[in-house]
Amino acid sequence: MTEIRLDTLTKRYGTSTAVDGIDLTIGEGEFFSLLGPSGCGKSTTLRMIAGFVTPSAGRILLGDDDVTALPPEARDIGIVFQNYAIFPHMNVAANIAFGLKMRKVGKAEIDKRVREVLAQVGLEGYENRYSRELSGGEQQRVALARVLVTRPRILLLDEPLSALDKNMREEMKFWIKDLQKSLGITTVYVTHDQDEALTMSDRIGVMERSRLVQVGTPEEIYERPATLFVTGFIGHSNLIDVTARPETEGHCRVHFAGADFSARVRGALDKETPAQLAVRPENVIVDAETLPDGVVAFPAKVVSETYQGPIVRYRIDIQGTTITAERQNQAHRPRLAVGDAVLAGWDPARCETLLR
Amino acid sequence: MRDSNDAIAWPFYVGSALALIVLVVPVLIVILTGLNAGDYMTFPPQGLSLRWIKSFLTSPTFVPAYLFSFGLAAATMAIATVIGTMAAIWIQRRGGRLAKILRGLFILPLVLPGVVIGLALYVFLISTGLPLARTFYGLLVGHVIVTTPLVIATVTAALVDFDRSLEDAARSLGATAWQAFFRITLPLISGGIGAGALFAFIVSFGQFEVSLFLSTPDLQPLPIAIYTSLRYRFEPTAAAAGIFAIALVVTSTVISARLVNFRRLFGGR
Ligand SMILES: Nc1ncnc2c1ncn2[C@@H]1O[C@H](COP(=O)(O)OP(=O)(O)O)[C@@H](O)[C@H]1O
Ligand SMILES: [Mg+2]
Repeated sequence: MTEIRLDTLTKRYGTSTAVDGIDLTIGEGEFFSLLGPSGCGKSTTLRMIAGFVTPSAGRILLGDDDVTALPPEARDIGIVFQNYAIFPHMNVAANIAFGLKMRKVGKAEIDKRVREVLAQVGLEGYENRYSRELSGGEQQRVALARVLVTRPRILLLDEPLSALDKNMREEMKFWIKDLQKSLGITTVYVTHDQDEALTMSDRIGVMERSRLVQVGTPEEIYERPATLFVTGFIGHSNLIDVTARPETEGHCRVHFAGADFSARVRGALDKETPAQLAVRPENVIVDAETLPDGVVAFPAKVVSETYQGPIVRYRIDIQGTTITAERQNQAHRPRLAVGDAVLAGWDPARCETLLR
Repeated sequence: MRDSNDAIAWPFYVGSALALIVLVVPVLIVILTGLNAGDYMTFPPQGLSLRWIKSFLTSPTFVPAYLFSFGLAAATMAIATVIGTMAAIWIQRRGGRLAKILRGLFILPLVLPGVVIGLALYVFLISTGLPLARTFYGLLVGHVIVTTPLVIATVTAALVDFDRSLEDAARSLGATAWQAFFRITLPLISGGIGAGALFAFIVSFGQFEVSLFLSTPDLQPLPIAIYTSLRYRFEPTAAAAGIFAIALVVTSTVISARLVNFRRLFGGR
C-alpha cells in the first residue's frame, strides 16, 4: 500500500532521450498501466522505478521515501519480467524462497510462506519442478509468487502476458487483476496492448516517444483521447476533416457537410480553424429510415459491408467523405445492402474535436 | 522422416570415422610402443611388456618432468580460469566498440603460432631484464598467455546464453550485486568456466613451443623432457611417458564431463 511519485523523471542515452520528464502520481492500491508503442520508453521508466536504470534527472518516491539513489535490493519492489526470469538452476520452491533467504528469514518461516503463496497462486505440489517443466502460464504464476512472497511495497509488471498464447492471455488478464485487487498492492503494468490496459487498469498513462501524453481512466482515455496519437493508438476512430469555431470553454462549433453542431475540444481556439472530428465506428449510427433525437444526421450511401460475426462493419459515404460504422449483428436489425441510401450520423456528445 | 535423415547422414558417418581414425590411431600406436618389449621404439612392438613403464616410473628425468607439468598445468588452469572468466564477464558487460576490440586482442594468442609467442616472450623477458626469464614464473606467464583466451572464449559463449534479467530479478528480490553474481550468474555459466578450465589444463600440460623457449634443464615440462630424450636415444620410455600423459588428460576430461553433467542434472539448460 504505497503511493508512487515520479518527479520529472528523465533518462537520456547519449543524445537520445528514452524517457522525457515524466511527472506522475500513482495512488495507493492503484492498478496503473503504462501504455504505448514499442520503443516509447515504458520499460525504461519501469526499470528506473525498479532501480536497474539510473535516471539522468528527476526523482522517484515510494510513499515518503526518496528511492532515486537506492540500489534495486534496497527498494523492496517486486518486478515480473516479460520472460519471467525463473532461475533455471533452482526448483520452484527455491525460486520462491530466494527473496526470503536474502532477507534472512528463518527456515521454518520460509517453508510456511512458500506453501502459502503456492496455494495463493494455485500451484500446490509444484515445489520440486524446474522452469523447463512449467508452461508459460505456470512460469508466470511462479514469477508472481516469487515477488509476492516477499510482500513488496509495489508491484511492477513488464509486458507479462506477451509471451503467452491468446487463450492463456485472456485467462491471466483477469487472474492478475483479481490477485492485485485482493492484495491491494500498488501496481505499474507496462503493455503495448490497449485491450490489456483497458480491461485491467484503474488508470492508464499513454506514452508517445518518451513522453507521457495522457493520463486517465480507461473510459476517459477511450472516450476522450487527448491527441491524435492517442486517438489512433487506442481503438479505431474515424478522423473527419471539419472546421471548428470558438464557442464556450471546452466546446467548439463544428461545421461539417452542411451541418453545424457543438462538440468537445481540448485547449482553447480563438478563430475558425481546420480540425478533425474523432468518431468511433461504434458511435456512427446508421439506419435506413430514422435516427434517434440528438444525433446529427446526414444523408449517406452504403459503400461496402464486411461481415465479422458479432458485428457488421459498413463503409459509409457522406458527401464524399467515407467513414466506418459498426453495427451489432442482431436479428431485429435488418442488414444494410451496398448502394442503399441511408441516414448516418453521431451524437456530438460522443465525439472529440482534435486541433492540429 | 528418420529414413530420409539416415540417407543424408552417411557422408557424416564417413567423416566421423575418418576423424576417429586420425585421432585414435596415433594414440594407440603410442600406447603400444610404450608397452614394447624390445629395446627401441618400433612398431609393431616386439612383444608386450611393462618394461618401459617401469623405466618411466623410475626415471630421474621423466617423473619430475611429469609432476612439474602437472603442477604447471594446475597453476596455469587456476590463473587462466580466474582472469579469463573475469575478463569475459567484464568485456560482455562493457559492450560497445572497446569490447569488440578487446575481444579481438584476447583471441590473438590463439591465432599466433606458439613459436612466435614463445620467442616474443623470451625476447621480451631478456631485453627488459625482468627477473622472470628462465624461472618458473616466466614459464607460467607464457602458459597463462596461451590458455587464457580459451577460457575467455568458452565463458563468453556461456554468457551469450545467460539472461541478464535473471540477475535483475535476483537484485530486486534483495540480493546485492555480489550475491546475485555468486548465486545466479556463476552457477549458470559454470559449464563454460569448467570447459575453459579443462582446456587450459590440457593445453598447458601438452604445451611445447612456448615451453621450449622458457624452460631450463631443471624446469622441464614433460613435452620438453620427451623431446630432449628422443634427440639422444630413441627409447620407448618416452612413449611410456606418453601413456601417462594420455591417462591424465583422459581422466581429467571424464571427471569434468561428470561435473558438467551433474550441473545439467540439477537444472542447467
Ligand atoms: N541501454 C540502452 N542504451 C541505449 N538506448 C536504449 C537503452 N535502453 C533503451 N534504449 C532506447 O530507449 C528507448 C525506449 O526503450 P524502452 O524503454 O525499452 O521502450 P519500450 O519498453 O516502450 O518498448 C528506445 O528507443 C531504446 O532504443
Ligand atoms: Mg519494453
